[in-house]
Amino acid sequence: MPIVLEKLTHIYQQGGPVATTAIEDIDLVIDDGELLALIGHTGSGKSTLAQHLNGLMKPTSGRVLLDGRDINAPGEDTRKLRFQVGLVFQYPEHQLFEETVYKDIAFGPRNMGLSNEEIDGRVRSAMDMVGLPFEEIKERSPFEVSGGQMRRIALAGVLAMRPRVLVLDEPTAGLDPRARDLLLKDIQRLHMEGTTVVMISHAMDDVARLATRIAVLEKGRLVMEGLPEVVFGRFEELTGMGLDVPQGCQLARRLRELGGPEIPDCYLLESLADSLAAFLKGGGGDAA
Amino acid sequence: MLRDITLGQYYPVDSPVHRLDPRTKILLTMLFIIAVFLASQLYLYVFILGFLSLSVYLSRLPARMIIRSIRPMRILLVFTFILNLFFGTGETALLRIGPVIIWQEGLLNALHFTLRLVFLVMGSSVLTLTTSPVTLTDGLETLASPLKVIKFPAHEMAMMMTIALRFIPTLVEEADKIMKAQTARGADFTSGNLMARARAMVPLLVPLFVSAFRRAGDLAMAMEARCYHGGEGRTRLHVLKIGRGDYIAYLAMAALYVLLLLPRWL
Repeated sequence: MPIVLEKLTHIYQQGGPVATTAIEDIDLVIDDGELLALIGHTGSGKSTLAQHLNGLMKPTSGRVLLDGRDINAPGEDTRKLRFQVGLVFQYPEHQLFEETVYKDIAFGPRNMGLSNEEIDGRVRSAMDMVGLPFEEIKERSPFEVSGGQMRRIALAGVLAMRPRVLVLDEPTAGLDPRARDLLLKDIQRLHMEGTTVVMISHAMDDVARLATRIAVLEKGRLVMEGLPEVVFGRFEELTGMGLDVPQGCQLARRLRELGGPEIPDCYLLESLADSLAAFLKGGGGDAA
Repeated sequence: MLRDITLGQYYPVDSPVHRLDPRTKILLTMLFIIAVFLASQLYLYVFILGFLSLSVYLSRLPARMIIRSIRPMRILLVFTFILNLFFGTGETALLRIGPVIIWQEGLLNALHFTLRLVFLVMGSSVLTLTTSPVTLTDGLETLASPLKVIKFPAHEMAMMMTIALRFIPTLVEEADKIMKAQTARGADFTSGNLMARARAMVPLLVPLFVSAFRRAGDLAMAMEARCYHGGEGRTRLHVLKIGRGDYIAYLAMAALYVLLLLPRWL
C-alpha cells in the first residue's frame, strides 16, 4: 500500500503572467513503514509536494496513487483519504482553536463521524503517543500551555485520526532543544510502531538520526534519492545546493582532509565515534 | 483558493497621472464629482466625458479597466434608470403604454442620474487605479492634518490604514494555510446549510484572530523598539511635492468648471 507519485507537476497560477513551477516531473515511491526525509532549500517545492500527498493540492499534471488508486480521480472521496494520510503543517500549533485540549484533539475523529467512546479512546491514545498527561491537561485551554506542548497537542490532533501515513512539515522548527528532542523521540516511536512517516526538515542532524531514506529536492525537481549513507556521501553536491550536512559528516570530512581515516556512516554519531576510537586504538593517531 | 484575491486595484504603470501628487488627485476627484452634478444640460456631459477620457488617456490605463469598474454597479444603474423613467411625473408625455406614462422629464431625470453615477464611479476609479494605497493614505494624511486643530487624529488614522493594507495579504495567506490545515483534519467548509457553514468557520476564525493579535503585539513591539512615538515631529521618507504637472491638472479642472458653468451665466 505505498504512495506512488507519477510525473507529478504543479504550476502555480498556470497561464497567468506570474506562473511558477513549484514541482516538476516528480517520480517517487513512498513505501510502507519507511521514514522518508524530504530535504531541500527553501522554495524547492517540499511543502507543495507534501500537500499533494493527501489531496489538499491537485497536481497540474501527473498522478498520486494510494493503494494503486489515483486519489484525484473523479469520484474518489478525498475527504476519507485525508484520514489515512495525516498532514501536520509547519507551526501546527497555529491551527488550535477549541476551548479545551481534549476538544481540539477530538476535532479530527469527530469529523470522521466516530462514536463518542471511540473518540475518547483515540484522544487518550493520541495524547499518550506524544507524551501528554491526559488527566492533567485535557480540560485546559490549548492556548495556555507551553509552546512545545502546543506543538504536541496539534500533532496529537492528527494522530487521533490514526493515519497510516504521517506527513510532517518541519516538525521541530522553532522548538527549544528539549521540546525538539521529545518530539523527535515521539516521531521515531511512531515509525517503529509501523506508521509510514514523511518528514520535511532543514535540520540534517535530525534527518541523520531518523530517516531510513532521503529524497532531495532542488528547484522543484527530485535530484537525489536513496539511503542516508548514499545521500550524505555526496557531500559536495549537497553543499553546492546550499544544504547542510550532518555535523558528523563535516567532522569526518575535515579529518580526511588532514590525513585521517575514511569513516563510513559518518552521519550516525555512534558509528562515527566507533570508527574514530578504532582508528585511534590502531595507532593511526599520529597521522591525524 | 483565497490566494487569488487581488487587493486594491492599483494598476502599476508610469504615467503623468500616476506621478501627480496624491493630494492633487484626491482634490481633483472631489472637484470632478461636484462637476458631474453641475452639468445641467445633457450635452454638458460631453465635456465631462472629454475630461475623463483625457485623464484615462494620459494615465495609460486600459479603457476596459475603467469600463469594468462600473460592473459591480450595474444593477444599481439599471434600477436608477428604470425607477426614474417610470415613476417620475412631468408635463409632457412621451409615451403611453396602458396605464403607464413615460414623461419627458422622467426620461431626462433617468438619463441625468444614471450618467452621473457612471461618471462618479469611473472618476474615482481613475484615482484608485493610478494611486497606490500607501500613497493614497499619505495624501489623505496630509490633507486631513489641518483637522488636528480640532483633535482629529490624522496621523494615527493614516498609520492604521497603512498597517491594515499591509497586513491584508499576510492574513489572506494565513487564512489559506489554516483552512488547509483544518481541511487536513477533515473539516468541511463547502457543504451543509447556512448554520453548518457558519459553524465550520469557527476552526478558521479562532486561529486567525489569535494570530492577528499576536502579529499586532509583535508589530507594536517592533515599532516601539524603533522609537515610534506617533506623528509628532516625524519626518517623511517621501516628501510630497506639488509640481508642474499638478498645476496643469488644476488648470484643466478649472477649464472644465468654466465650460460647465458658462451656460448658466449666458
